[in-house]
Amino acid sequence: MIKTDVIIIGGGATGCGIARDLALRGIPHCLIEKGDFAAGATGACHGLLHSGCRYAVTDPIAARECYEENLILRRIGRKCVEQTGGLFVRLPGDSKRFRELFLRSCEEVGIPTEVISSTRAIDLVPNLNPEIEEAIKVPDCSIDPFRLCLLNIRTSQLRGGIIFTRHKVTEIIKSHGRCTGIKAVDQATGEVREIHANIIVNATGAWANMIASLAGSEVPMTLVKGSLVITNHRLTNMVINRLRQPSDGDIIVPNEAVCLAGTTALAIDDPDQLLTESSEVDTIISEAGKMIPHFNNTRIIRAFSGVRPLLKSKKADSHEISRGFQIINHENGMYSIAGGKLTTFRLMAEKMVDTIMASFNLKKLCETAEIPLDGQEELSGYPLSRRLADMKNIVCECELVTRQEVERIIRQTGTRNVGDIQHRTRLGMGPCQGGFCTFRALGIMNDMSVISPQQSMEMLRGFLQRRYRGIRHALWGDQLREEQLIEYIYLGILAMEKPE
Amino acid sequence: MSVIEYDVVIIGAGVAGLTAGALLAERGFKVALVTTGEPTACLSTGCVDVCSRDHKPLSGIHDLPPEHPYHLVPEKITRDALNYFQTAMMDMGIPYAGSAEENRFILSALGTLKTSCLVPLTMKTAPQDNKEGIHIVTFKGLKDFYPGYIISRRKNTKFSVYDAGVYHTMGIASHFEEKEFFEKFIIWLGKLNIDEDKIAFPAVIGMESAAEIINTIAILMGKPVFEIPTIPPSMPGRRLFNALKGYFRKKGGMIYWSWPVEGTEKAGRLIEAVATHSAGRPNSINARAFILATGSFVGGGLTATREAIIENVFNLPVHTDGPRETWFDNNYFSLNHGIGRAGIIADLSLRPADSPWDNIFVCGGILANTEILKNGCGHGLALATAHVAAQSCAEYLSNEI
Repeated sequence: MIKTDVIIIGGGATGCGIARDLALRGIPHCLIEKGDFAAGATGACHGLLHSGCRYAVTDPIAARECYEENLILRRIGRKCVEQTGGLFVRLPGDSKRFRELFLRSCEEVGIPTEVISSTRAIDLVPNLNPEIEEAIKVPDCSIDPFRLCLLNIRTSQLRGGIIFTRHKVTEIIKSHGRCTGIKAVDQATGEVREIHANIIVNATGAWANMIASLAGSEVPMTLVKGSLVITNHRLTNMVINRLRQPSDGDIIVPNEAVCLAGTTALAIDDPDQLLTESSEVDTIISEAGKMIPHFNNTRIIRAFSGVRPLLKSKKADSHEISRGFQIINHENGMYSIAGGKLTTFRLMAEKMVDTIMASFNLKKLCETAEIPLDGQEELSGYPLSRRLADMKNIVCECELVTRQEVERIIRQTGTRNVGDIQHRTRLGMGPCQGGFCTFRALGIMNDMSVISPQQSMEMLRGFLQRRYRGIRHALWGDQLREEQLIEYIYLGILAMEKPE
Repeated sequence: MSVIEYDVVIIGAGVAGLTAGALLAERGFKVALVTTGEPTACLSTGCVDVCSRDHKPLSGIHDLPPEHPYHLVPEKITRDALNYFQTAMMDMGIPYAGSAEENRFILSALGTLKTSCLVPLTMKTAPQDNKEGIHIVTFKGLKDFYPGYIISRRKNTKFSVYDAGVYHTMGIASHFEEKEFFEKFIIWLGKLNIDEDKIAFPAVIGMESAAEIINTIAILMGKPVFEIPTIPPSMPGRRLFNALKGYFRKKGGMIYWSWPVEGTEKAGRLIEAVATHSAGRPNSINARAFILATGSFVGGGLTATREAIIENVFNLPVHTDGPRETWFDNNYFSLNHGIGRAGIIADLSLRPADSPWDNIFVCGGILANTEILKNGCGHGLALATAHVAAQSCAEYLSNEI
């Protein structure tokens, strides 16, 4: 049994941000995550660090928060933010009145914008539709959500925070009506851990209501599915937004070697039953294609969906529900923090920890906005030179990941989950989507005796099934061709379906 | 622009195209083969799967659904096609074991027993059940082969690791062609105490002389030795392709390598030429008949767009189950994806159905309703339909005035 002051449930941006804030204020804590970091909405978003412009018209408070956090994150998180800048482009037929409203709202919120001609916009982003009327330059950036979580967690780890990933909370322990701890099951071994604390923070995003209900409480939320597609190419170096009322398929974000485009908005009930539909993929591509015509013939390597955990609202169009956040005191030792955006995760954490400090009657102020994220000095961006130095031993040809790198991650994290390697090295993120390299990574894990031969087989099977869910709605052209090859390898050459 | 004249132009250098080409060249026709590059046969196990639905491949064919293109091939021709292949491969120095009468197993790199029919001699002694003990000899860091997967399915399996100094299939295979490397390896191997019944290697034991090397090791070790095919690049697949290519050339066929077909010249109901591009120069290859053996999606014969499936050379009508939503089943492992039925429907002479042209014949993986993975019928179907297409094409050329 472990005793600590605060238990954080959820390893998304919010949970990791709370852990960092608590660590900097010297509060002992323990974070529990049922999968890997950034496994929910954090990892399934388009990786945009909002300038706030998108919400300036509909939600000025959220917009201002976004802009302030944008400035902070650019300062403290240089190694996970790429200062791309962004454009809002107006296509023929897009409302001029919205343009006026947009500029005025941005000015009122205090976000700097610059109207530029279509010629100048095309100079900046040569792939833009030459027919755009004009563009508005905004301070959007792209952000690596997974790395953001790891860097936040780093501070917690350096200062004695206890972290359990792949542990699922199954029970909230109560005594005299107050939450005093949790029970969590290790997903790999089935072992149950009991952790006790004075305060429990529920930062589980779309799963917030499920966790709250374990304590007999409730978090009223609207779950809205958003789907995204990933291209095999970086078609733009700037974030491209459509200058109109928020709608489907109005954003393209460059991220490392690829672009993400989205999104859609459909209300759903169960965050564990997420299915991307072909029609969503078609909508995104044709809308994105209006801003960057190449989108129509570029290779799409994956389509996926995430859940926006929005606060409950009566508004019918989910694009209009507030992106604001809320801290709910369940009055039983548990707090839930819900709503918000990836961009404002730090602010959410700050407010949450302020509340905790107040309840502990402690005074130390938040420093997360001033101190740069720990561990960034070790990151060298995209260390291509290191990868190429070991060219003969490349395990993932798409992303140039070497065997040494894979072995290092396995040793460092002791992981038994191939997804952990994928997140930390980009293994399997390229056009073959892990078709070749996962077979190898699992083989290496078995070579190193982290998993048994039987586990390597089961994991390979599970991986292929999950991979297929991600790609099946984006299969045509070269991607379909590649998929047919992978299917031929596993079901033909390797006869995987044959019973012993 | 240069113009070259032939009796037949074959498009595609896979098992179907090279076989049809050899058959026509053998009959004295002037045959050219154009290809964009290496075929998918190079990625294959090198084995000829005829039909894996039944222990007896010919009975399996009999039970296939009525629309399956195997039913366009008389049983005798299928039998002849397999015999012809075995004779040709023997001639080219890579003998094949097995017969049309019954299927056999090879051991896959995941430890399953994969059903096949004609297998390279290097896989002949693969276990036919799960009882035999196997000692796998693998290579340090070889990135496309992991004995753990096999051990997960076969209990009495052990393995040893040799450091070849390189970590990829092609590198190790070429080392095995060097006398000095091989001698050093044999000394190392001789020191191993192997108790198991058989010795297995990932299929990286040499390029062309694999059968010889395997045989030498088997004699030295006094135990049966066999190869386990790996994921691509696949040496057995490459050996098969090289042998078929050599055989086609030996019969007098001409190969235009890296010449993608970019257009066709038509007159009435006939295709008169295919236009290709090579080294920046347009070429027109004239012929009296054409055999389309470009394979399915992987081979490059078909392309899927978001809206439709297109045949890439002649724009022939393509059969599909329906729109994009029907191409893939929910279960990845179901072997029942609609996309496996896409292709060209042909008549008994292997002319494409509803084709506006009379002098095109199709064979191999581009045919509709093959469901190659489900039925286990890749190279076997290619061989059988190549024989029918070549026969029909020869008759057409002889009757042509």
